[in-house]
Amino acid sequence: MAVLEIQNVTKTFGSGSVRAVDDFSLTVGDGELVCLLGPSGSGKSTLLRMVGGFETPTGGSIRIDGDDVTKAPPEKRPTGMVFQSHALWTHMNVFKNLAFGLKLRRLPPEEIKRRVEAILELVGLPGYGTRLTHQLSGGQQQRVALARSLVLEPKILLLDEPFASLDQHLRERLREEVRDIQQRLKITTLFVTHGQDEALAMADRIVVMRDGKMEQVAAPDTLYREPQTPFVAGFIGTMNLAEGVVSDGTFTRGPFTMPVPVGDGAAILAVRPEALGLAPGGMGDIHRVTDFGTHGIVDVDLPDGFRFKAMVPEAREWKAGQKVDLKPRAFSAYRDNAVIYRSQAAS
Amino acid sequence: MTDTPAGNIAQATSPAGDIVGTRNRWYLGLLLVAAPVLLVCWLIIYPIIAAVVQTVWVPDADGVNRLSLESYRFFFSDGYSLANLWITLWTTLVCAILLLLICLPIALYLRFSEGRLPAYVQALAIFPMFVPSIILSYAFIRVLGPNGMLDILLNAAHLPKIRSPYLTPWGPVIGLVWDHIPLTVLILLSGLGNVSNQSIEAARDVGAGRLIVLWHIILPRIGNSVLVAASFAVLGIFSAFTIPYVLGPAAPEMMGPFMQRTFRELYDPTSAITQAVISFGFCIVFGLFYVYSVARNQRT
Repeated sequence: MAVLEIQNVTKTFGSGSVRAVDDFSLTVGDGELVCLLGPSGSGKSTLLRMVGGFETPTGGSIRIDGDDVTKAPPEKRPTGMVFQSHALWTHMNVFKNLAFGLKLRRLPPEEIKRRVEAILELVGLPGYGTRLTHQLSGGQQQRVALARSLVLEPKILLLDEPFASLDQHLRERLREEVRDIQQRLKITTLFVTHGQDEALAMADRIVVMRDGKMEQVAAPDTLYREPQTPFVAGFIGTMNLAEGVVSDGTFTRGPFTMPVPVGDGAAILAVRPEALGLAPGGMGDIHRVTDFGTHGIVDVDLPDGFRFKAMVPEAREWKAGQKVDLKPRAFSAYRDNAVIYRSQAAS
Repeated sequence: MTDTPAGNIAQATSPAGDIVGTRNRWYLGLLLVAAPVLLVCWLIIYPIIAAVVQTVWVPDADGVNRLSLESYRFFFSDGYSLANLWITLWTTLVCAILLLLICLPIALYLRFSEGRLPAYVQALAIFPMFVPSIILSYAFIRVLGPNGMLDILLNAAHLPKIRSPYLTPWGPVIGLVWDHIPLTVLILLSGLGNVSNQSIEAARDVGAGRLIVLWHIILPRIGNSVLVAASFAVLGIFSAFTIPYVLGPAAPEMMGPFMQRTFRELYDPTSAITQAVISFGFCIVFGLFYVYSVARNQRT
């Protein structure tokens, strides 16, 4: 289908004082689904809007299949965008919403009817053409919004937090459906979300953004297991990030110590709850035990107040107030915003 | 177990309590709306009925009151009265069209622009609301009247004089349009507030240019606001007095000055009231149109 190339794109607001996107480069391969993931204000939506033509980059270039579209308005780009608020036109019924773009392309009425019916079938809403948009549920509205973009057969599909306004159950169902449709059509897709579970479930690659810059880009499993910075480690999944000091090859934070064969200095030790074992001892006190049925989460407080989270297979074995030792099975260490050590099991 | 009887009693008494509560709330609601409703009846409904009765229940030559449509027959057969009605309708229509043509671009600019300039433009657009009509009229005379500022400037530039709109039908049109800009802009702006940026971006995304977005996305969404703005403009302009009185021609004249002159100078209250009832008849059509628009808006 198409390749999207974003090269050294920068976007500033307020006469240059705010850099929403800062020297960002990324290539999205043919048929690939890439998620832009980051906290609010990280620049992911601004970047998506620049690809869609709703913002003009201050610097850099955007190419689709080699064609420079950096300055092109939205109506001249081969992109289709699905908005967070659905943005359906409430004065039109579903058919008219979908047919609007096709009419602008001056397709014959029979062709418009055929394509609209086909796309409604694809998104699981056959026979909904005559419905008004306010007669649809949130999930159905989002499907119509997706269909409105897909019916024009864009080269690049842009999704701007499309499931943010839906409840958890519907969100999970729709993201599977969208992923299925994307894979069936093999359409190159850029997807903005601040939900890590959404990104991990849908993306071929995830771009973690922070302050307008790319923090790391990798496949979901790589991003989860080998985060390159403490920010990514903390942003993807749950991570215990303990600041401490390495001296003579040992990381120390209060009574918690761990062999880390790196040079002396400050460091951050990162360990996932599922990689943190517990044993009766005296490093910390159990603050709370939460039983999720399939597993338990144990909060352990060090004497200085720092709290570790450990995932245990059987919550009933542990009680609040109990004194325990922490036994990381896999961990990473960071210094100066980069990995300095990864234990065997963590890599 | 001990909770059960009390619970049952509570259940048994609650429907009756609900009925009493609902009735009390109903009376309270009526009491709250009573004052404005009575005022409307006293100050608006009663004078309307009294005016209509006064024009159709008139004394004959013997001084006996009887039903007669003579005053209406006179109005609709009198060339001068019809000319006045026609100039009023013409002024109203031209002003309403001009107001929409002028205010819609201003409202669109204010809605979709950001920064400091739109704030200044909005202040400028709202400014006429704080200028009394009489001041506006004299400012008009000083600027566009004979030997006004425009004439002086044209003379300084060795250009010919313009034909002043002062004391022509265009005088009230210019004044009334200027006077009604703030309200029209505010109503349209409020309607445009319902058009989300994303619905416009979605239209542009599927290939719509700016004019297509305006025609197919924005205008259908603000249709009710346009109707409300037009209704307000028509109601205000049809019954305008000061601006048509000061800036308009002596003949034909708009219904406002015509009524005043008939009453004060011709000492003919029946004809003046007849003119008022006829004016009201035209205004009520637009009033009902406005009420219908608002009701439809609330339903959707």
